[in-house]
Amino acid sequence: MGPFILRRLFFLIFVLFGVSVLIFGILMSFSPERRAAAYITTPQQAKDLPRLVRTYGLDDPFYIQYGRWVGEVAAGNLGWSLVAAQPVWTAFWMYFPVTLELNLYAAPLIIWFGIWLGTRSAIHRDDWFDHLSRVFAIIGWSLPTFLFALVLLMVFYGYFRMFPPGIIGDETALYIMNHPESFSRYTGMVTVDGILNGNWRVALDGLRHLVLPVTTQVIVVVALLMRVMRSGMIEELSKDYVITARAKGADDRTVHLRHARKNALIPVVTVAGQLVAFSMEGSIAVEVVFNRQGMGWWLAESATQLDMPVLMGMCLFMGLVFVITNLVIDILYAAIDPRIRLV
Amino acid sequence: MSADMAGDDRRDGRRETGAGAHPILEAKDLVVNFYTYEGVVKALNGVSLTIPHGITFGLVGESGCGKSVFVRSLMGLVQEPGRIDGGELIFYPGPPSGDGPVQGVDLLRQPESYLQRIRGDRISMIFQEPNAALNPIMTVGEQVAESFLFHRVREMSEKIAADLGAGGGRTTGPVKAVLRVLCGISARNPHARVLRVLNRVPVLKRWRRRLLREALSRSAELLGRLGISNPEEVIRRYPHNLSGGMKHRIVIAMALACKPVLLIADEATSNLDVTIQAQILDLLKGLKETEISSVLLITHDLGVVAETCDRVGVMYAGNVCEIANVGELFRNPRHPYTQALLNAVPKMAQTGPLESIEGTVPNLVDPPPGCRFHPRCPNAGEPCREVFPEMREMGVGHRVACYFPVEDIG
Repeated sequence: MGPFILRRLFFLIFVLFGVSVLIFGILMSFSPERRAAAYITTPQQAKDLPRLVRTYGLDDPFYIQYGRWVGEVAAGNLGWSLVAAQPVWTAFWMYFPVTLELNLYAAPLIIWFGIWLGTRSAIHRDDWFDHLSRVFAIIGWSLPTFLFALVLLMVFYGYFRMFPPGIIGDETALYIMNHPESFSRYTGMVTVDGILNGNWRVALDGLRHLVLPVTTQVIVVVALLMRVMRSGMIEELSKDYVITARAKGADDRTVHLRHARKNALIPVVTVAGQLVAFSMEGSIAVEVVFNRQGMGWWLAESATQLDMPVLMGMCLFMGLVFVITNLVIDILYAAIDPRIRLV
Repeated sequence: MSADMAGDDRRDGRRETGAGAHPILEAKDLVVNFYTYEGVVKALNGVSLTIPHGITFGLVGESGCGKSVFVRSLMGLVQEPGRIDGGELIFYPGPPSGDGPVQGVDLLRQPESYLQRIRGDRISMIFQEPNAALNPIMTVGEQVAESFLFHRVREMSEKIAADLGAGGGRTTGPVKAVLRVLCGISARNPHARVLRVLNRVPVLKRWRRRLLREALSRSAELLGRLGISNPEEVIRRYPHNLSGGMKHRIVIAMALACKPVLLIADEATSNLDVTIQAQILDLLKGLKETEISSVLLITHDLGVVAETCDRVGVMYAGNVCEIANVGELFRNPRHPYTQALLNAVPKMAQTGPLESIEGTVPNLVDPPPGCRFHPRCPNAGEPCREVFPEMREMGVGHRVACYFPVEDIG
């Protein structure tokens, strides 16, 4: 397996080269002035536009500009983010933990809930449970995320004052700021840091802010996984080896969980992996509505302001995430299905 | 089909089986329908037959005649949208050697839990596609071991308890005592709920592992008896690592694990090449002598029937049309369909073109009234079009459902 992983990681270089050329090329379709305009904040600076274009070499040929960017990245400099008013690298470590924390709770729930719902509704096919969970799936799938998020926010924050938006409450934030010696920020994730410091007040406050965004994310995303699981399970249950197992005297539990579900998990692993990879990018709607400034929020802001270093950095990040996810998926495949060998 | 017909059947059943033999299975008037969008498929239209104890019974017919549906209903495995709509299936699970008649049970009126106990233990089944019949992601050993784990937990726990008592191994002291308690529980009730919980507790899991190890060693021993060399290694492999013939033996092993009284082979040799087919048939014949008492062989291959069966039932479009001992059936077929079927078999000395049966198998959503064979039958007369002919005795143990049977030459 070692050589397999090394080879896959070697291919990562080509993937990153491919996506960065593509995104860089698309960004080049904006005129040099348009790209330079991102650095201008006052009308007086507008007359500096030609000078800016010249200083940053924005009218150089594509390959020279791309080469310059690659050189900088190789030297460890990802550039300056205008949106964050910080270097891209530093800003990344500010926004990424916010998105990661959300997914830390949402992803296991999505996977567990999706598999459980899909399995049950396949077993009780055309039963009330099946109909109910399918209706639930369709609603979750077709409801606009921002609308659902707003309704949740209105009910649970507006009326009940239970789950506020944001990442952390003001009081807790103040507490952390005033006690730098007793509270160290290991990961940047509020709940995880709270647990690591043994400070339950902080952890619980972080959790309180996570309830609504996690709920939104789970309900919106679980539908896809549940449908893949359901159809996979229905297909497996109709296969001959299930009849063989029944003919041996297997009870329902053994047939469903030991025989059919394990086989049905093979396609589910792919979908679950892709979902997790995608959510690392952050859900824009969830992050904007719940005022959690994470990757999705940063990406959306950067895209509208044409913050090129951020966009390019993000494409490297997503390339990395997808290659690693596919690697993990392949390893899981081989673990579930003995017919697959890693070569 | 009426009650008096069923009574008739039972009387004949006694006579057919000969002196001293009990029936192992009696199907009476079995009706199975499939409720599809195209309409109700009348797959079994009142099938009655008796399988005597200790013989190989062949069931032949073209594809789609209901052979497979019949055996699936024996196992209680008729799948959606199929439904057993009537009849009785009396099974005699007890040992045949006892004094007096064995108590029969109507399988159609038993709860699922009873069927689960019977399946794989008293009645088991070999499937036609070993490739599809094996779970691709479980080792061969695990799959064979399941048969033991479903039906022999009691016996195996007693053995493990005895082994623990005999000493040896790494397990000592309190753990050993606890494991013996667990063995005691499972020997009394293999499906105890307590066990399911305790099996997850780290140290106590060892008990489950021992049970699995015992089942695996039994599986290896069984595979060895079925002529698989190196069974210890084979049980660790996955189905895709094995040849077709091997997989077939594995499927047979799963069915034989608990020494069933009735083994059903559903087209078990149909897709094999001739040499492997001969091997498997020899194996089944040998096992018939030693391990199992009765075999129900489903096939469309009359050669296989002639070679292996003692008694044969011929099915057409959801009905049994003729039942006879094998020699009698081949020498003196009385039902026009049986005769046509036999004529369709190519013969060495044949000079003219191969005979076939005119027309096609009827659509079972809307089968022909009366005798379902009448549109294709050369002898068909007036009554054939209206009322299905009752089974009638024509010769010793020779029963035919036909108004105008082929001339008796016996």
